[in-house]
Amino acid sequence: MPLVTRNIEPRHLCRQTLPSVRSELECVTNITLANVIRQLGSLSKYAEDIVGELFTQANTFASRVSSLAERVDRLQVKVTQLDPKEEEVSLQGINTRKAFRSSTIQDQKLFDRNSLPVPVLETYNTCDTPPPLNNLTPYRDDGKEALKFYTDPSYFFDLWKEKMLQDTKDIMKEKRKHRKEKKDNPNRGNVNPRKIKTRKEEWEKMKMGQEFVESKEKLGPSGYPPTLVYQNGSIGSVENVDGNSYPPPPLSDSTSPPSPSFSEDSLPPPPAEFSCPADGNQRGPGLAGPKRSSVVSPSHPPPAPPLGSPPGSKPGFAPPPAPPPPPPMMGIPPPPPPGGFGSPGTPPPPSPPSFPPHPDFAAPPPPPPPPAADYPTLPPPPLSHSGGGGAPPPPPPPPPPGPPPLPFSGTESLSVAPPLSDATKPKSSLPPVSDARSDLLSAIRQGFQLRRVEEQQEQEKRDVVGNDVATILSRRIAVEYSDSEDDSSEFDEDDWSD
Amino acid sequence: MAGQEDPVQQESHQDWVNREYIEVITSSIKKIADFLNSFHISCHSRLATLNEKLTALKRRIEYIEARVTKGETLT
Repeated sequence: MPLVTRNIEPRHLCRQTLPSVRSELECVTNITLANVIRQLGSLSKYAEDIVGELFTQANTFASRVSSLAERVDRLQVKVTQLDPKEEEVSLQGINTRKAFRSSTIQDQKLFDRNSLPVPVLETYNTCDTPPPLNNLTPYRDDGKEALKFYTDPSYFFDLWKEKMLQDTKDIMKEKRKHRKEKKDNPNRGNVNPRKIKTRKEEWEKMKMGQEFVESKEKLGPSGYPPTLVYQNGSIGSVENVDGNSYPPPPLSDSTSPPSPSFSEDSLPPPPAEFSCPADGNQRGPGLAGPKRSSVVSPSHPPPAPPLGSPPGSKPGFAPPPAPPPPPPMMGIPPPPPPGGFGSPGTPPPPSPPSFPPHPDFAAPPPPPPPPAADYPTLPPPPLSHSGGGGAPPPPPPPPPPGPPPLPFSGTESLSVAPPLSDATKPKSSLPPVSDARSDLLSAIRQGFQLRRVEEQQEQEKRDVVGNDVATILSRRIAVEYSDSEDDSSEFDEDDWSD
Repeated sequence: MAGQEDPVQQESHQDWVNREYIEVITSSIKKIADFLNSFHISCHSRLATLNEKLTALKRRIEYIEARVTKGETLT
């Protein structure tokens, strides 16, 4: 529905109740003429606004043009002074000079409040402000702003940011794991002599056009290659293929934001359900119902997941919920769905079915033992505010891999995972791993305290780091690109070392 | 009878004249509004093209400057 930018004010000229006068026709005529004059007034106001906008834009361009003209003049002078014989053509000269870097400034924050045109801003200001829920913030336990549960403009960006950061961490974990494996098995390369890696196959695949490339796992032409290298060598980074790759941050505002983007992925239900209930709790009971129903349906047959689809393609929620024990968790599904809002325990139940077919996934070994301890650590606090705490924002909890037969504690732990990141969990719970098996209570205490400290550190780190789309995306791309490069370079090193 | 109808007829005739006058004015207002909209759109698009050209030009100038300088700073 298009928004009207400029509305000329008295819309109807003579739709008014008439005062009781003898000559009604004249009265109507006079009223109409007066409204016409008011219309002309608002018209002139908008005309002035339009022309003023164009004027300011033209002015900025004029200044840019003048500065560019100066530079061109200087260059012209300089070039005429160039003498080909005097040119320094030594090899050292080539290497010592600083390489040329063009300024790659990306436009950001295009649709911000500041760039809203003035008439639309005026219309916006005539709307009611949201209720002053922030007065309730001091009474909250978890320190979040109360208004954010009613309306949060930065919700989608935060969601996307979490996902991106999560993906970068997963990629780094995978890299470390690969390196570890290589170190552990130094003779692995000898047993299976590796095929020589050539780019010929790739180029041949791309011969017919990028659209017909079939990825290894037969994802289809719309599969997700980590870096889309086009034929002219440029790298296409943000290719929104079914929203599967880096979804652009302002996801279309649907009631279930993550679910469309994860629709094709192997793990749609768990992240969607996890975040949707979280969102539902924040948005109010009215929305939780439809959201839940919309999300539950795709949950039953999680599509045969694209095995080995590059780790980067997985949503941010995928990595941490590494295969939780299906049997213990299966008992959980029935109660939580009718249970209502406070228990995002629903995410783990659907996740087990989807996880078994995920062997490729680099569910890193460090997480398995630590999350086992994590779950024991969480039960007591969750029990205190399982209903009131509200579902946590996006960061998914680490799954209990292996046997930890704590399904109940598992669900509770999911319900209380305040801004925890997954990277902290492995680190924080490594010390109490051995304790968990022996003394549950002390492990809980230790783990919980440890995690709090690390949590603060993580948060501080996050606040310091750049908070805009470009930096986050560039970091993610860098990690992923360097990941593939590192792998290949490591392979090459093996080659030469043998 | 004719005497009674005359003022009424005159009045309604006058009313119609007035309405036609108002109609002319309002249709011109609409034309002005249309003109402003199309002017706005066309100016925006031209300025956007200009913006692109300026950006491309700026990048080329930067490249040429980098090629031409032999380590001295451009004054």
